[in-house]
Amino acid sequence: MTAIESPMPRSVGRILRPRTRQTLLLWCFLAPSLVIFLLYRVIPVIWNLVLSFQYWSPLKAAEFAGWDHYEDLWFDDVFWQALWNTLIVIASAPIGIALALGLALLVNADIRGRNVYRTIIFLSYPLMTVAVAIIWRWMFDERVGLINYAARTFDLVDKPIPFLNSFTWALPSVIVANIWQMLGFYMIILLAGLQNVPRELHEAAAIDGAGALHRFTRITLPLIRPSLFLAFVIGMLNAITSFDLVYVMTGGGPGRATEILVTYIYKLGFVQTKFDSAAAVTIVFFVLLISIAWAANRFTGGNAGAVETE
Amino acid sequence: MKRRSVVKAALTGATVLAAPAYLRAQSSKKLSILTWNIADQQELFKQEFADFKAANPGVEIEWLDKKGPDLPAFYQTQIVAGTPPDIVDLQGAIWVDYAANGGLVDLTPYLQKEPDVAKRFNADYLKGWAYQGKTYLLPFYVAKTLLYYNKTMFQEAGLAGPPQSFDELLGFSEKMAKAEKTGFLTLNFDWLYWPLFKMNGIELLSPDGKKAAFNTPQTADALTKLAKATASGGVNKISWTGRWVEPNGAFAAGTVGMLHAHSSSYFFVKGQGPWINGQTLGAAQLPGFWSTPTNHGFAISKGSKNPDLAWKFITHVTSDKWASAFFKNRSVLTANLAADNAGLAEMEKTDPLAAAVLRTQIEHTDKLTGNWPLPYDAELKDAFWPEIQNAALGRKEPQKALADAERTVNRLLSRKA
Repeated sequence: MTAIESPMPRSVGRILRPRTRQTLLLWCFLAPSLVIFLLYRVIPVIWNLVLSFQYWSPLKAAEFAGWDHYEDLWFDDVFWQALWNTLIVIASAPIGIALALGLALLVNADIRGRNVYRTIIFLSYPLMTVAVAIIWRWMFDERVGLINYAARTFDLVDKPIPFLNSFTWALPSVIVANIWQMLGFYMIILLAGLQNVPRELHEAAAIDGAGALHRFTRITLPLIRPSLFLAFVIGMLNAITSFDLVYVMTGGGPGRATEILVTYIYKLGFVQTKFDSAAAVTIVFFVLLISIAWAANRFTGGNAGAVETE
Repeated sequence: MKRRSVVKAALTGATVLAAPAYLRAQSSKKLSILTWNIADQQELFKQEFADFKAANPGVEIEWLDKKGPDLPAFYQTQIVAGTPPDIVDLQGAIWVDYAANGGLVDLTPYLQKEPDVAKRFNADYLKGWAYQGKTYLLPFYVAKTLLYYNKTMFQEAGLAGPPQSFDELLGFSEKMAKAEKTGFLTLNFDWLYWPLFKMNGIELLSPDGKKAAFNTPQTADALTKLAKATASGGVNKISWTGRWVEPNGAFAAGTVGMLHAHSSSYFFVKGQGPWINGQTLGAAQLPGFWSTPTNHGFAISKGSKNPDLAWKFITHVTSDKWASAFFKNRSVLTANLAADNAGLAEMEKTDPLAAAVLRTQIEHTDKLTGNWPLPYDAELKDAFWPEIQNAALGRKEPQKALADAERTVNRLLSRKA
């Protein structure tokens, strides 16, 4: 490792030992990020934890509530519905990743105009989520939506399907919009992974008689595992925090058909003025996130995110 | 000038500039006003403010408007920060929570001191802003549900006029349901569907408000009929799934016989439905004359540093003069008797259909329902509505849905006791 030239004044340099000086310098570089992380991540989580054990509203002084809010959650049908929907949305992330992998394989092949295809596929990602939600809300509209129009034009349905007003179709419709937006991003991550797979390995395997499927399952997939992990973690985080998408497309409805934990937290806090209950759901949500990230890390070998220092 | 003085002056200046505008507006003789989704009235408000300032020299007014779902979150944040606006425009039942927890100024002493102010308003609408005998808001603009009906579809089905009972309402709906056409639609947010239950003699809670009272054979019967009519297409499914745009849009498309909605729907529906005119659209009361209000009112935040001035301001903007101007500008009722009567008389000449719609809003105001002042209204709504929705859409047996709703509501009530 190359030693970092210290920009510290000579007087400080004379007082501190080189190793201490270097550590101090590293902390100086880390400090801005750590302060932001502390202010916007750690403190709010701790505050939520405290709040979840209190009775509190903007107009009342806090009182100790013990486990009451957690007990309420146990009997709260909406919470269970929101949790279940959240898990379904998380479970849909691999569908998007699988589709993106297919596209990445296609645009990684030697085809003409592949850069144009890559750009087109990626275009959905930089769009604002609210814009994506509005686009898809109109696409799914019962009266003027393109999907119903096409379905009726081709005699696929007799009556228009009220996608976003149907208990059956609303959640899948939101998931489709979510996958559509994330597809380009997943593809870029996986494409980067695919381009790091040495060509020689494929060539050697082909000479040894391995078929395309074998080469894909034995060489490509294991070597792009870090990219898959990254795509999954990002996909999972995006899926469960897609507040804006759900809020604009369905508002959590019809009924609670598309309610996810993050929209339920918002409603508890800002519609019902139950910030204390919202804090309890937030803690459950946090634990869920941590558990899934841990499980995903274990699944991919347990050292995802580690920095190699050789 | 000494260095210390310069530093002091600079610090003071910086502090003043750094303070958010609403903090500065809370200083003496300054009023901050937060309104809800009415930014289009900026020009009128400017005139009202200028008029108020002329009568109260030295007063500064800061006005801020927030879009639909943003206001509650914004106002709560202001309360937590200790900087609520002096005056806030609140809608529906959201105010009760603030009033019950001491967040709003009790206006009763002011009303007692100035009895003429109370006399301005329709007593029933004013009563809608009372909690435990104390009045917390003055009406800003008001609306309640009514029954719109498509006269063309009525004629096609051989129906002479609007239904007079719950069974007739469902019967008419069935008659009009053909292919893509459905008979009846209701808005469902903020208890707007409640008149359908009230007309069947159903009560939500016991008189002392401590127990659920809705799990009765009458409710099961009404729900069963609604579910049956929904399954057959008599009642449009959007009644139980849509929010505002969807049901109003569906009625505007001309394929729904009746729409149970508030008067605010009229201008949206008219804008979307080219078929709508005096010959094709009717406006009537729902059977039993029951209706649910969705009103806006002005409250004074407890944190206001100028409650007397704020009171003066809200009596100013709800005065005959400015309520009339508001009616004229926005075509809404204000609950100010003089303003509404004068406005309606004028409107009958220029837009008789709109006048007929608005006329329903000042009739039978003694039969307002679904506006019980409960501090936990939003929670109660969330405990009750999903089960009604399940039953109406045939996802659950009505008896089972009512039992589940009763359990949830009673659990909530015991927590709140």
